[in-house]
Amino acid sequence: MPANRFEAGVRHQQGVAVIDLRGEVDAFADEALNAAYAEASSRDSACILLNFDGVDYINSTGIALIVGLLAQARTSHRRLLACGLSDHYLEVFQITRLADFLSIFPDEVSALANAPGSAEADS
Amino acid sequence: MTTSSRRPDEGEARDAAHWAPIMEKLRVSGVPEEALSLNVEGRRVLGPLQGFGKMWQKTYRVRLSGSAATPTEVIKTWKENFPKFWGAPRGNRFYAPITGIAPGEVAVLNLGAGPMKLSTGVMVLYADDESFTLMTPQGHMLAGWITFSSFEEEGCTVAQAQEYFRGQDPLSEIALALVGHNMQEKLWEQTLRSLAAHFGVEGQPQMLVTCVDPKRQWSEAKNLWHNAAIRSMLYTVSAPARWMARPFKRLKR
Repeated sequence: MPANRFEAGVRHQQGVAVIDLRGEVDAFADEALNAAYAEASSRDSACILLNFDGVDYINSTGIALIVGLLAQARTSHRRLLACGLSDHYLEVFQITRLADFLSIFPDEVSALANAPGSAEADS
Repeated sequence: MTTSSRRPDEGEARDAAHWAPIMEKLRVSGVPEEALSLNVEGRRVLGPLQGFGKMWQKTYRVRLSGSAATPTEVIKTWKENFPKFWGAPRGNRFYAPITGIAPGEVAVLNLGAGPMKLSTGVMVLYADDESFTLMTPQGHMLAGWITFSSFEEEGCTVAQAQEYFRGQDPLSEIALALVGHNMQEKLWEQTLRSLAAHFGVEGQPQMLVTCVDPKRQWSEAKNLWHNAAIRSMLYTVSAPARWMARPFKRLKR
């Protein structure tokens, strides 16, 4: 099966920086993921939402990259949220204990509705 | 020793077979009689986020220059000979799972020579053809995981070990600062040297250390309760009492 190259796009939605992840989260995702995180955190969003809707593969190196983002978020006092995880990746986040530190939502709408500092949550 | 990853079922993610299943508590089986198996059975695994100390990323890599081994061959060999390549000093033992390095399997570690042994373990969190990851249980000195991988770089096969961890509790954090970091770096450099030697290469491992999060998590200081060093020591010093109680236990039966 051909590799599905990783891409990450950033947009700002209701005061929350959303990073859309697509493809395979593995060692090759390092540069693109960190660049997207840097772009997302360049504005003063208190929350960054990782949208995993387009992700079809994560290996243990990919999980380590997410841990790195969590550490960066913690240092800069930002909340990191996740949405769009399939049942399988929800399990992966549980076994790796990432779920203890990330607020996980089924989809973007519910994540934005509950994100602290988002326009929707404030209203 | 063989390693098998099951084929993913239809509709399942491609990586599904490579991850350990969710387990509330670790189960140890098939440990040889001479092994001291404490501090693993019934424990939970801890990732780098659940530890106490500073978070570190340490990357060790060796270029297998001149070797024709592919990354897949390197990882297959590494999995099959993990205890042999493990670069811990004499007297330390890595009791690999009898079914090999496969997702969800648990290995027992006995550290230290003589009667005073520290017993802990690791769980295989992830394993595929080009990498595998070990994760630590409660009580281990480190909270985190280490990923062993192999890949091609500029036409040369590279073997890599990359750790992400925090000291698990305040005592472990002190031990790490005093001797632990140094011992650990020697261990993985020696492991890579042994692996390279297996492929006929006199490798010179390179190391890159990054402090990912300099803050300590005082909320996780409670991990001290499970500290394997303390519990192993208590087990050893209470051996005479257990020995004396043995006949009474037999009578009870």
